Amino acid sequence: MPTALLVTSVVNTIQIGSLYALMALGITLTFSVIRLPNFAHAEYVTVGAFAALIVSLSGEVNPFVIMTAAFVVGAVVALVSHLAVFKPLEGRNVSLYTLILSSFAVGLILRYILFMMADYFNLFDTRIRIPLQIIYREGPLILTNVFAWVAPTSIVLVLLLTTLLNGTPLGREMRALANSPSLARVIGIPVERVKNYTWVLVGGLAGVAGALWGLQTAVSPLMGWVAILSVFAAAILGGLSSFSGTILGAYVVAFSENTVMLFLNFNFGVDLAYKPAIPFFIIIVVLLIRPQGFTELFNRGRDLQR
Amino acid sequence: MIRVESLTAGYGKLEILQGLSLAFAEGQFSAVLGPNGSGKSTLMKAIMGVNTIFGGSIQLKGRELVGLRTEDISKMGIAYVPQRENIFSEMTVLENLQLGVRSLPRERRQEALDELLALFPILGRRQAQRAGLLSGGEHQMLAIAIAWLSRPSIMLLDEPSAGLAPAVAGDVFRVLQDLRRQDITLVVVEQNARRILQYCDYAFVLREGQLAFEGSAKACLNDEETIKGYLGVHEGAALAGRDPTRP
Repeated sequence: MPTALLVTSVVNTIQIGSLYALMALGITLTFSVIRLPNFAHAEYVTVGAFAALIVSLSGEVNPFVIMTAAFVVGAVVALVSHLAVFKPLEGRNVSLYTLILSSFAVGLILRYILFMMADYFNLFDTRIRIPLQIIYREGPLILTNVFAWVAPTSIVLVLLLTTLLNGTPLGREMRALANSPSLARVIGIPVERVKNYTWVLVGGLAGVAGALWGLQTAVSPLMGWVAILSVFAAAILGGLSSFSGTILGAYVVAFSENTVMLFLNFNFGVDLAYKPAIPFFIIIVVLLIRPQGFTELFNRGRDLQR
Repeated sequence: MIRVESLTAGYGKLEILQGLSLAFAEGQFSAVLGPNGSGKSTLMKAIMGVNTIFGGSIQLKGRELVGLRTEDISKMGIAYVPQRENIFSEMTVLENLQLGVRSLPRERRQEALDELLALFPILGRRQAQRAGLLSGGEHQMLAIAIAWLSRPSIMLLDEPSAGLAPAVAGDVFRVLQDLRRQDITLVVVEQNARRILQYCDYAFVLREGQLAFEGSAKACLNDEETIKGYLGVHEGAALAGRDPTRP
């Protein structure tokens, strides 16, 4: 495999992996604190991308403004889906399967609302209007302004989220809720309020991930849904409970989809069309061989639950 | 302090307490005894508002608790140490303690933590450790510490000595006696009647969701035959320190 190809694929791994980490942490957080494997998470990403797109089409070019808009819209949609659907269902003590199915339903509803909206406003396959520039070139290494936005922003947000969880009272209460909901309740933690904050955080970060995703590719109502399998693969690699494991999982998935895929293509002639099969393969192998994922590697009293 | 009137409570549709009435006096160390399924834990959970209450009333100093949210009940100065899941096992000991002081005003938190570490020096040495790795005795001390840190006026403890070696269980009860000296009202559910009666002031015996007997600890101890009768078939074993229905 030529060096140029290798370098490009590693750059892609960093960019995509950071985005996967941002999305997968949301999944891990919802699974641990809310106890819901939320498939509608994909649509919070898409909603954020569309919010970013609409703001950028209005002439705004400051990426901070664009991402803030995506955060707010993602957070609102996530909170509303909790208050309107998941919370009432939890109150009726439905089974986990019902909750998972309802998260699929919420996702479908959001996705097709976005389809209608995109159709009506003619937004199909539009890009967020930030012109692509090459900002660094050194031999085979080419970095664009999109990379300069996507990778550092995702990494900073991931670090901020981990700091919030491990170093602030709210984060401590969220982890307490993840560890033991019954004890959290009896020691007087305002459980419903902590859950609302969790949804705002999860939806907001998914929204920002959508905005960043929209910087590197065209925005479409299916974009979150297409990415969700890779993102779930990352979260499952993290054992659906370990933060550090999820972050590592995100880069492992991105590495497999980019560098490993290219390597297979170049050396063994495997068609690049098989790329979407990689997260499936990872999920199946992890669940069969090591269902706890990377959890045990990092458990130092800092993770959400065993 | 806490007055329970014709309380009917349980889980889902199952009624376990059937019109129970009793009162825990202020400043007293009371034990709640009784065979399995007599409703001891159900009573604790009903006070905290975490199970289903079908009827009756629970009052703290004249204020009705039935219908309040658990977080509000805990704010009124009632702390509860459940029998299982009574510490955050995946978090560090220090984080568990920080969660314990969360309801105090900010300026009083450090003082409360310092006071606690003087009371339980072992928890200070284990601060950075994951709480799930503590020994049985340390685990129970931490659970009691979390509850005590909210500066409650009344503490409810559900079988704090379950699964502990007799010497360690004695340590736990001695800590409870210390707490009572700080004017904290204590209500302790126990399987092992003879052991708790050496430490507490007053005892209630439940049977099939109703109050079967109440009296001072001395009266209970001196009249073993009476409580044997009230505590039912397992009592012989329970007095010997082991309950054959539990592994």
